[in-house]
Amino acid sequence: MTQEPVAAPAPGHRRLSRKVQRVLATSLITGLTLLILFFYLVPMVYGMFTAVKTDGQFSKTGAPIWPASEATFNYQGEDYEIYLVPIEGQIKSMALIKKGRASSTFIDPADEAAGPVEWAGSWRSLERSWEFDPQWENFPDAWNTINYPNLLKNTILYAVITTFGSVVSAALVAFGFARFRIPRKNVLFILMMSTVILPGAVTLIPTYFFWLKLDLVGTWWPLIIPAFFSWGTNVFLLRQFFLTIPRELDEAAMMDGANPLRIFVSVILPQSTSALTAVALFHFFYAWNDFFNPMIYLAGHPEKFPITIGLTAFNNLYAASINMIQAASLVSAVIPVLIFFFAQRAFMQGVVITGVEK
Amino acid sequence: MSLTSKLHALRPQKKFKTKISSLQKKEALWGLFFLTPWIIGFIGLYFFPMVASFVFSLLEFNPTVPDQAAYIGFDNWRRALFEDPEVGLSFLRTIRFSAISLPIGLAFALFLAVLLNSKNVLGSQLYRTLFYMPSMIPLVATVLIWNGVLNEQTGWINIIIQNLTGIQAVGSTGLRWLADPQLVYLAYTMFGLWGVGPAMIIFLAGLQGVPTELYEAAEIDGASWFQRLGKITLPMITPVILYQLILNVIGSLQYFLAPFVLNRGTGFPEGMTRFYMVYFFKQSFTFQNMGYGATLAWIMFIVGIILTVILFGTAKYWVFYAAEDKE
Amino acid sequence: MRNKRIQILFALLVVALLIVACSPAQPAATTAVKATDAVAEVPTDKPAPAEKVQVRWFVGLGAGSDEGTFAPQKAFVEEYNASQDEIELMLEIVDNDVAYDTLSTQIAAGNAPDIVGPIGVRGRDSFKGAWLDLAPLIAENNYDLSDYDPALVKFYLIQEQGQLGIPFGIFPSFILYNQDLFEEAGLNLPPAKYGEKYVMPDGSEVEWNMDTLRDVGMMLTFDSNGNDAKTDGFDSTKITQFGFMNQFTDPRGIGTFFGSGSLVADDGKTAQIPDAWNAAWKWTYDGYWKDWFIPNGAYGGADFLQGPGGPFSSGNLAMIHIHTWYVAPWALGEVKFDWNLAATPSYNGTVTSKMHADTFCIPKGSKDPKSAFKVLTYMLSKEHATSLLSIYGGMPARLSLQGDYFASYTETNFPDKDDINWDVAVAGMAFADNPNHESWMPSFQETTDKYNEFWNKWSNTAGLDIDAEFEQLRVALQAIFDAALA
Repeated sequence: MTQEPVAAPAPGHRRLSRKVQRVLATSLITGLTLLILFFYLVPMVYGMFTAVKTDGQFSKTGAPIWPASEATFNYQGEDYEIYLVPIEGQIKSMALIKKGRASSTFIDPADEAAGPVEWAGSWRSLERSWEFDPQWENFPDAWNTINYPNLLKNTILYAVITTFGSVVSAALVAFGFARFRIPRKNVLFILMMSTVILPGAVTLIPTYFFWLKLDLVGTWWPLIIPAFFSWGTNVFLLRQFFLTIPRELDEAAMMDGANPLRIFVSVILPQSTSALTAVALFHFFYAWNDFFNPMIYLAGHPEKFPITIGLTAFNNLYAASINMIQAASLVSAVIPVLIFFFAQRAFMQGVVITGVEK
Repeated sequence: MSLTSKLHALRPQKKFKTKISSLQKKEALWGLFFLTPWIIGFIGLYFFPMVASFVFSLLEFNPTVPDQAAYIGFDNWRRALFEDPEVGLSFLRTIRFSAISLPIGLAFALFLAVLLNSKNVLGSQLYRTLFYMPSMIPLVATVLIWNGVLNEQTGWINIIIQNLTGIQAVGSTGLRWLADPQLVYLAYTMFGLWGVGPAMIIFLAGLQGVPTELYEAAEIDGASWFQRLGKITLPMITPVILYQLILNVIGSLQYFLAPFVLNRGTGFPEGMTRFYMVYFFKQSFTFQNMGYGATLAWIMFIVGIILTVILFGTAKYWVFYAAEDKE
Repeated sequence: MRNKRIQILFALLVVALLIVACSPAQPAATTAVKATDAVAEVPTDKPAPAEKVQVRWFVGLGAGSDEGTFAPQKAFVEEYNASQDEIELMLEIVDNDVAYDTLSTQIAAGNAPDIVGPIGVRGRDSFKGAWLDLAPLIAENNYDLSDYDPALVKFYLIQEQGQLGIPFGIFPSFILYNQDLFEEAGLNLPPAKYGEKYVMPDGSEVEWNMDTLRDVGMMLTFDSNGNDAKTDGFDSTKITQFGFMNQFTDPRGIGTFFGSGSLVADDGKTAQIPDAWNAAWKWTYDGYWKDWFIPNGAYGGADFLQGPGGPFSSGNLAMIHIHTWYVAPWALGEVKFDWNLAATPSYNGTVTSKMHADTFCIPKGSKDPKSAFKVLTYMLSKEHATSLLSIYGGMPARLSLQGDYFASYTETNFPDKDDINWDVAVAGMAFADNPNHESWMPSFQETTDKYNEFWNKWSNTAGLDIDAEFEQLRVALQAIFDAALA
């Protein structure tokens, strides 16, 4: 099928060129990745810059894109913004003390004694003088405004408990779907998918009604219990992975007298760590960012709120503190990002070698 | 040994076809045992609300005055299928948008996964985290970020485009991403790409499942990178591709969150973003026609089921399972 | 051994199936009936607990879901709970984005709150039919309404629905201007009193009407070269400061700026666009795309118009038309410029200054309307209404409270500012819009949705045949009305 190169170079030469090839490939592919990453993260950088901007910078025309505040000069007890004024043949940093249409009054911070200078021209055409001035205190401010420790505790509890429940239940059910001859299995499977296809919004009222009748509205239970009875998407994903595990492995274990539960625990689960990690991560992040369900079921119980609801405190009816929302969101993303960074070791190629050794 | 025969070797050999009914019964029982959590959950948590939502579709039902609900038979269904032009229009918009965003989204996720699975990328762990990071930022913040970077006057995207290409992109005569009917689907696709993280991870997990032995063998055979991709990688992750395909089709049908948070479901510009589910949501919650909304949801549900069954049906022609499913 | 395991398994399955078979059977069989009966059956559903009756107060349809208002509202609830031992008041604050869905889910599932508010006309009409007629409770308790303007009480008497509210807070409107920008441009300030003329830069006195507002607005609109919109060479692609906008309102509010009216004719079924609205919309459309003194859709989202309280608080917008609820710390607390209130301009010699009014409603689904009414009367009472009103920034509807309200409000919220021209806000009440710009239309939400869709297009598209657009809107509205009334 594939043909050997007609004239193979000498072995030594070949090894060298392989090395060169490798370095070349590494730098090319890494470079490509970095390029894509750069564009991909442009909005992220925007968000981060926004998080450390002052409230005022958004509405300043001509403001730089990085977090900055306009340089000011204190003259006779008042702060005035500094502009770059072309005056006497040079550009001078001057504080604008009186704005006017045709001409404005400036003072030179370096030479206050010289007194106010009248400059003819429109101050709007001037550039401000900007200083790099990230507002790091936006992070602690965000933290303090919304009772973070309690929200964080609720969110972690909710995320951890439901992640555990959803992974365990989804793995069990997926194993059932992947490995056993069950009458009408395909129908059952489509039935399971139907819970994914029918939009949750349309079942919202009856579902809420159901929990209300159980007197559980206002508690965490309507959010936690469903996770323990397996979600269609998770089951489907794990089923797909279980089906890629060769059956010889179970059969070998079965020969040794293992029952299906044993096979599940000692053959299937160890072979699927990356898929199980993926499901666990998804669910964790889903729970971490879930907003609508907690709002509906926990309305009126602020002591039980997760972080997402806390964040809405910055999102007023008419106006939003854009920088504080970004700051608070970044703070709330720290834990998921760290978890992801450490959990993704499960996706290292070659760590799990599936199937083929017998 | 050729690659295809190697792959074939991974397929299960049907060794014994003994038909002992008690054994079958036992297997079915074990299977049901494993399905128990789902069966309980389905009947306990989903069945009643699903039936209820179907009953809604037969009612004139305003949720704020539930005591005035009235049975009207299939009037809602008739209205949705034959009388309301917005149903078809919004469905077409959904299809048109999906035709752009779904392939791009899937291809990008797969591309990233292959790239970040490569041994040739230095620091791939960090990159994976960075690519995933936007998916962890709460939605309120994501929406503000995108409204910011897509702003025609001050958005970074237009500034970058203008500086890189020299095209007049900034300003009310420039690229108006969210206001120009020609551009808006592209803008929403970009917004969607920002949530590529989960799909990328699923593909990555799928790539882990490809036995390294196969690659080694292929390398010895002198197969090029593209040959390995086409002959080993892609066939081996077809189960995951099937999953992504089905979930993305369902996701496209249900597409509504982005337009709803970016423009509060106004359909702006020129109704281009009034997708099927946006229309459903407006009818159910904004216009308070829960009965009609439920009908719309059920129509989408039926379409979704049909598409899912079809995609499953095609699976036997292109999806490769090492442990073939048995019915 | 193995047999035993299977038996256990089997037993488990049977138990599971039994649970499954029994529990949901009832609700599943009677879904629709249950859902619809829910409201009717709840009053007897739960016997009143021996200790305290719980009354749930839902906040989020209007004011009250901003971070700064959480603590004072909570304090109010705690104070109430400490003041008596029959009722336990419980506060549910829901973010405005999801408040409508949350409330409609609660009502539909039979878990309606007992008090909802503060709620404006818009919030109330979004849940048409869900509110309790208070008239029997008012009669039963001999509740004294003499401290209110009878016209305002009547404002809440809705055809076929009854007395849905008791007046609480009113929010007249006015022009709010940025004094610094006027001074810089060398322009005289807008009239502080109704009836006063405006003095143009050349010294001529002109009537304070829409033409004057446009002219002054254009003189306050600047591009980045410092040219105003009246100057040749003004660059409309580089505007950095705008002259005017009707902030935080919709097409009906903009129309009412020129005169009261309604999209539905007196017969209740014919779609129309009142002449004054036609003029107001044209004036605004030209302001977007020809005179450039009103920020259009493209400029509306620009960074330089993002202040903590929207465009005006950015400092780059000279005038807005707005209500008293905007004169509050969340919008104007942090601004670095001087501002004040001025008269609403006239159109064809008539002033129309639209009014907002908020109240609290009791849903029909309330489990204990009597207790809810008790709480309601506490909230609206002479002694306690003021503390709630200062949270939401409203002027008291009680005549006896109006006297010192603004003095104490200013002292609490703007201690450093002693020149707020509240008189012009009070005087504006004489020009309140009737019919109200938020009042009833057939298919309220669908109609709102439709005209907003058109407005979105106008504010984002230059060069439209605007008369044809108005006609298209009228036709579209007529179709909605016809469907609603069929």
